[in-house]
Amino acid sequence: MDVTFADTARRARAVRTSYAAVAGLSLLGALAGCAPEPAPASADNIQSGAPAVQVTPATGAGGAAASNAGEKYKDGTYSADGHYVSPNGTETLGVQVTLSNDVVTDLKLTSHPSNPNTKKFQGEFIGGAPALVVGKDIDSLNVSKVAGSSLSSGGFNDALARIKAVAAK
Amino acid sequence: MASYSFEAIGTAWQIDTPVELSTDLIAAITATTDDYDLSYSRFRPDSRVRQAAGRPGLLELPASAAELGELYATLYQLTDGRMTPLVATSLEHLGYDEGYSLRPGPGYLPPPAWPDVLDWQGQRVRTKAPVLLDVGAAGKGQLVDLVAGVLAAAGLRQYTIDASGDLLTAGEQSLRVALEHPYNPAQAIGVLELRNGALCASAANRRAWGEGLHHVLDGATGRPVDKVVATWVSADRAMVADGLATALFFTDHQTLGGAFDFSSVRMFSDGRAEVSPNFEGEVFT
Repeated sequence: MDVTFADTARRARAVRTSYAAVAGLSLLGALAGCAPEPAPASADNIQSGAPAVQVTPATGAGGAAASNAGEKYKDGTYSADGHYVSPNGTETLGVQVTLSNDVVTDLKLTSHPSNPNTKKFQGEFIGGAPALVVGKDIDSLNVSKVAGSSLSSGGFNDALARIKAVAAK
Repeated sequence: MASYSFEAIGTAWQIDTPVELSTDLIAAITATTDDYDLSYSRFRPDSRVRQAAGRPGLLELPASAAELGELYATLYQLTDGRMTPLVATSLEHLGYDEGYSLRPGPGYLPPPAWPDVLDWQGQRVRTKAPVLLDVGAAGKGQLVDLVAGVLAAAGLRQYTIDASGDLLTAGEQSLRVALEHPYNPAQAIGVLELRNGALCASAANRRAWGEGLHHVLDGATGRPVDKVVATWVSADRAMVADGLATALFFTDHQTLGGAFDFSSVRMFSDGRAEVSPNFEGEVFT
């Protein structure tokens, strides 16, 4: 598993916009207040083909968000950059997810593509894919099975689990 | 519902059944997967394909190799040689080798033409040159079918076999399956209600080890494909679905539709998704 802890301050400098979290995927990261540890860099992401995402809270995390007893996740907006290997090379996708009362209320994807093909791809992806998850409880997103590539079975649920871990109170 | 999870041919498997599998049945499943691995693994020095790879000659395979050979021959023809079981040397040239060196050699090495080096008759394969047979594009699907055969022979009527994304389900219950986004495993590009059949997926970008280096190679050139990024195929049998999922990297549904009954989705690197009219599910657009 590629777990990369991000130094929040460093990330904030390095990432101009708050990109986000759900995308990604193999993910995870650090919340303010979660005492990030220095992390082993996961330099083997590309070789393994596994996407890596670092998640940082954009707003609302770190105790600032309203939080109701009984909810499993802190309200707030979480962001991360996702990296993936496409046939065009390594690409980066920014993702931002907003949680409110344990429901994903918003999902924004930000592309910073490095070539025309990816730009077009991400453009269409941004237009269509968010409809899948917006407004649904994270825990309700489970399907019985996921059909992806051979290394990816369970990837869908794994990624959601990691996002839940980051957002967990 | 009971679940039995195990590792076979290098990947994770899960079998879901209404009642727990007996010890005998598990032993039979293990024997089936072990035999397959020993026949076809290109990573085991003692496998039949590896043993036969050093020199031209006769390669004796299990009886199930007959239908596998027919499938490969048909797909070789329909894709003009672009889908071939002879990609092993091309893959190794790019670094996807036994030791996973992942260090590509210079340029690309096209695989030899089938008629030049291979005569596949039933379970007997005669090679005219030292070749390493690679059935990776349909083998996992066939093994799913073989495991299903073991379950059916034991009287089971309801089961789901998940070999890491290659799925087969039997029985009246339907299975809601997400089509995993090839660039984003946290998302799906669609869903399918699968009932009494197989769904196999293939994606070019997951087993990748560098820029433009992945395991789906064009048999005409030895280069990794770069137009299609992911495919899904539903068919009665997992072997057929698995093979077609790879073939769709090289040709379209219409070309394959004359020879096979299946539904499909394939996604291109520019984000377009092509959905066959008979696809029983939804693709989010």
